[in-house]
Amino acid sequence: MPPAHGSVRKLFGALAQTWRVLTGRQIAGRGLTVFPDDIFLVSYPRSGNTWTRFLLGNLIYQNDPITFSNIESRIPEIYFNRDRFLRRLPRPRILKSHECFQPHYPRVIYIVRDPRDVAVSFYHHNVKARNIPDDYPMASFVPRFIAGEFDVKFGSWRDNVLSWSVLRKDDPGFLMLRYEDMRHEPARVLVNVVDFLERCSFPKIDSSAEAVQRAIERSSPDRMRALEKQQAGQWILTKDTRSDKPFVRSAISGGWKSQLAPESVAAIESAWGGLMQSLGYELSSTGTAVSVESGLHRGLPA
Amino acid sequence: MIWNRVKYGFRAAFGMNPAGRRLTVFPDDVFIVSYPRSGNTWTRFLIGNLLNPNDPVTFANVESRVPEIYFFSDRRLRKLARPRIFKSHEYFDPRYQRTIYMVRDPRDVAVSLYHYSFKRRDIPDAYPIEEFVLRFVNGEFFEDFGTWEEHVLSWHATRKNSSGVLFLKYEDVLADPLQGLAKIASTLQAETTPQMLARAVELSSATQMRGLEKKHSAEWKLTKDTREDIAFVREAKSGGWRTKLSTIAVRTIEQAWGATMKELGYDLVTDADVDRELVKG
Repeated sequence: MPPAHGSVRKLFGALAQTWRVLTGRQIAGRGLTVFPDDIFLVSYPRSGNTWTRFLLGNLIYQNDPITFSNIESRIPEIYFNRDRFLRRLPRPRILKSHECFQPHYPRVIYIVRDPRDVAVSFYHHNVKARNIPDDYPMASFVPRFIAGEFDVKFGSWRDNVLSWSVLRKDDPGFLMLRYEDMRHEPARVLVNVVDFLERCSFPKIDSSAEAVQRAIERSSPDRMRALEKQQAGQWILTKDTRSDKPFVRSAISGGWKSQLAPESVAAIESAWGGLMQSLGYELSSTGTAVSVESGLHRGLPA
Repeated sequence: MIWNRVKYGFRAAFGMNPAGRRLTVFPDDVFIVSYPRSGNTWTRFLIGNLLNPNDPVTFANVESRVPEIYFFSDRRLRKLARPRIFKSHEYFDPRYQRTIYMVRDPRDVAVSLYHYSFKRRDIPDAYPIEEFVLRFVNGEFFEDFGTWEEHVLSWHATRKNSSGVLFLKYEDVLADPLQGLAKIASTLQAETTPQMLARAVELSSATQMRGLEKKHSAEWKLTKDTREDIAFVREAKSGGWRTKLSTIAVRTIEQAWGATMKELGYDLVTDADVDRELVKG
């Protein structure tokens, strides 16, 4: 590319950014305006955040089911939406974020998922996003995943999980969910979340057994896959990615057992074994050295 | 409001806003990280004087030796020779690979920050220290950086055993600056001799720094618009809180952060711990 082209592009980029800032159209991200009644739905990428947005959205807005077209005005994420747009949403807002510990997030629902399943899902996600080619070996991906090389700003899985769990574990404004528990007993987890939201002075939510069941059905992998097929071209998270690869993938837990080679499993478990165990994820390669992640010896949520 | 936006937009367009948390981080960058008033400036002097013994650090040149990330634009900082060494007050940022984290007894941080807040005119004359400490514990003076405990824990929990990350206690460096600087040098992968270490420590002594502050405080960004009758380089001691803080103020701090303080080896003097256990049942 000739240098002139680069500087012209840079100039246009600068002008576009000026225009966005002047008109309040810049993307929120880390510059997000945070209100004291905000509730954040935080997780490492590929840990069930979108599914949780569907579940919650379908429970809160029972007369108008969540789709990929309306989710960003219901339970929006902070990375693709403008701060100005987000500031105008009804409060209290529920916002999706992938940040490591942020002291100014007042209330946080944190979703954690078995990092071995996150690895598998993240691998496919990076193929979809064209960050790695189709035939990229999983065995090469896993060490880079452990080192936190993809989406560096969110840290590694360990950085993300540990920073939140150590700093907020005793905080009444913090609720930790395990993806696996949500898969196993979605109704029970959803009722817990509703309790938490109401403790955060969120308006009353109808959490009768029927309402919860309906929300779960409306957020099933099948329905989400069907919606993705119709709407992937419009949704900001998927529109510039490969359309031959789905965003909503297998939506199961334990898929790593068939998809990861023993060496990859051992690599993850030897890097994060202590933290995984404290979160209730059983290790398979008991022979490997396990690092102790005591989080200042203060323990982690059971 | 609108003027601020125009200014911000213009500066953003031309890459002139201070980098701060938006800094572009390179893998070989070194960060000196601490909560404010925990010995960061001293560490910058120590490092600058170690790496450049023939041209000692002053308050007039420190920003070009070990710049802080809050005064300069990302664009400008990207042009510095690498590896870059920065001062930062950020809570955990996973992008920082090589980090020197300095922690200080929060009771001393409180006293130091109390005086610094007068200097910055953040609190009026004769502002009671008890009230100040309550606000300090809530993290009110540095909202962008979190509370002292959040700051320290966010780094300590995630990076305490990581290679390339050095945790230092201000009190230890004060007790044995040569050893402290030797550890810093090894994190920087700088080759040193005992003479170089000794000279850097001498050039960065509190007396030396106080003298330099008198000369250059009007030029230095951190001090130039602050009260001249109060010094930036203050006592440079540890344990000053024992005479400067009231029991109530000490209790406030120990009740809030006792567990983390003990973990870091700071002995508690009030029965905050007993209270805490009782509450937990």
